[in-house]
Amino acid sequence: MENVTSTAAGAERLRLARVLGPAHVWALGVGIVLVGEYMGWNFSVGKGGMIAGLMACWVAGLLYTCVAMIDSEVTSTVAAAGGQYAQAKHIVGPLMAFNVGLFLVMAYTMLEAANAITVGFLLDTVAGMQGQAGLNQQPFIVLSIMFLAWLNYRGVLATLTFNLVITAIAFIAIIALFVSVQLGASAVPLDFSAITSDPLPYGWVGIVASLHFGLWYYLGIEGTCQAAEEVRSPARSLPYGTMAGIMTLLIAATMTWYICSGLIPWEYLGQAGTPLFDAARITGNTGLMVLLFVGTAFATLASANGCINDASRAWFSMSRDRYLPSWFGAVHPVYRTPYRAIVFLVPIALIFALGAPLDQVVTFSILSGLLGYTFMTFNMVMFRNKWPLDKIKRGYVHPFHPLPTIVLLILCSTAYFAVFLGYGTQLSAMMCFYIVASLWFHFRRYKFVRRGDQFTMPWPKPNGY
Amino acid sequence: MWNILEYAAWALSALFGLLMIADLVRIDTTYDNELLISSREGEIEATAERHEI
Amino acid sequence: MAYEPPKQSLAGQIFDVVTLLVLTIGALYIPLYLGLAGAAKVPNPIANPTWESLGQNATEQQQWAALGITDPAAANDIITARFDYSFSWSSLIIMAVLVIGYFVMVVRLSDREYREVIEERFGTKRR
Repeated sequence: MENVTSTAAGAERLRLARVLGPAHVWALGVGIVLVGEYMGWNFSVGKGGMIAGLMACWVAGLLYTCVAMIDSEVTSTVAAAGGQYAQAKHIVGPLMAFNVGLFLVMAYTMLEAANAITVGFLLDTVAGMQGQAGLNQQPFIVLSIMFLAWLNYRGVLATLTFNLVITAIAFIAIIALFVSVQLGASAVPLDFSAITSDPLPYGWVGIVASLHFGLWYYLGIEGTCQAAEEVRSPARSLPYGTMAGIMTLLIAATMTWYICSGLIPWEYLGQAGTPLFDAARITGNTGLMVLLFVGTAFATLASANGCINDASRAWFSMSRDRYLPSWFGAVHPVYRTPYRAIVFLVPIALIFALGAPLDQVVTFSILSGLLGYTFMTFNMVMFRNKWPLDKIKRGYVHPFHPLPTIVLLILCSTAYFAVFLGYGTQLSAMMCFYIVASLWFHFRRYKFVRRGDQFTMPWPKPNGY
Repeated sequence: MWNILEYAAWALSALFGLLMIADLVRIDTTYDNELLISSREGEIEATAERHEI
Repeated sequence: MAYEPPKQSLAGQIFDVVTLLVLTIGALYIPLYLGLAGAAKVPNPIANPTWESLGQNATEQQQWAALGITDPAAANDIITARFDYSFSWSSLIIMAVLVIGYFVMVVRLSDREYREVIEERFGTKRR
């Protein structure tokens, strides 16, 4: 039987289905992130002006290239569902792993809620254009979460193939917009005069501040390694899919900045809800408008879909180790998905999607992501120290170590400062949350965990222990 | 038109929710819980990839 | 001798999940209820706005028109709104201490737990 593996003891065990290829990894990574090009990134222009927006786009791009490189090396070696969570468990220790698991669940569940809110907003806009003011957005928010959760419940292959299709369409929509504007499809010309007439409306601090939302271009690309237990050949597919993903995003992000900054006055762009759709509206071309509307809707759904996938894998892995109640660590015997984790996270996402304002949810998500990137820096150093290159074989070795780690740490510190400018209270509240949760785990929850069983990789003993 | 869509969305949400819950209950009562939570991290590692030089 | 964890009752499992949920929702909603959340732009509208006095050139005026805004007065608030980036050094230091202290605490406690794990996994008797 293919869906059951047997162990030496002869007991039957369930496992997740190993069915995915590199294209699915790409779809998972880019699918979660591409929505950032359709909404949210443009607040960076509002926080610092047009040039600051472009700087933020590339600086954040550099940050995420470091993330992708570091992550590819570690995850091509620690190939387990839960991604960074399993990395932390093997390299830093249990409490760090618990925190990383929480970062992942929080970042993805919040992002999922933000996406559902955007679906509601988008449909409200369309209904408004058809003369139906005051659409009740709630049923559509609930429906998008329910449908995608059901899809995830039914199996990972269908879920990520669906993601592959809609992500590709959303990506092509950006390229189509870029190309057609270059070929003169726009009724209004591109105008970059604000770069010279109003270069840095906030001075240099504006560039730092804009980095807060510059992260939004790429946030979530690290989610690719959640699929590690479901990929056919993790050591090859994960680095490949992740690197292809970050390249796609760098291209898409730069094109998006160019088109939107050229077509939309920066003061408007800095507060727009759906910048690419607005750019298409300005061109006056109905075909482009429809295409970018579809792109926005698909990018949003793809992101929510990937988030459900990733958050449930993280929750599932933590439960499997009894960091959380073991009841959640179940695999569906037919669909082979972590079905209890998927169902449990649905009402959580609904609470945030229906109850909290969008910018709060987004900030909570960005902050959880940022904490995760900070973790990656010392995680990488410890990984190389405990298991040097000649001690275990890695699927991928990233170049120039420790340069990417140092760059990542500097950029993370800058990003904390950027978030602090304006969202200091949330940052403090969230740090308090993670501190309390850590103490709770260390003093109460950890007693239910089997010590030796947490280390599952067939590696030699780490150096220095 | 949009009013009908709202009701349709509610109905579909309820349908997907019920499908999931019903299946969850069915699986939980059919199979032994010990089997369902028998998945272990790293088992694949033992068979597929050995990190040796 | 390997550490044998106690078996957790169903009620205990539910209690633990509820604790985590309360913490999460608290962290999100408490700043909201205290009215401390969010950084809003403050508009500084100018008197008798024209496109020229708002600094919009001919192409930009076309772009505003395509977005459905033809009256400069309607764009006044959007164009003149600015963030306030002043901050106090003391709150910056408090935040830095919180973030760094948090990571130091987590890594130190983790290391203590990690030594137990390695001890049990690679101890005298390999499993």
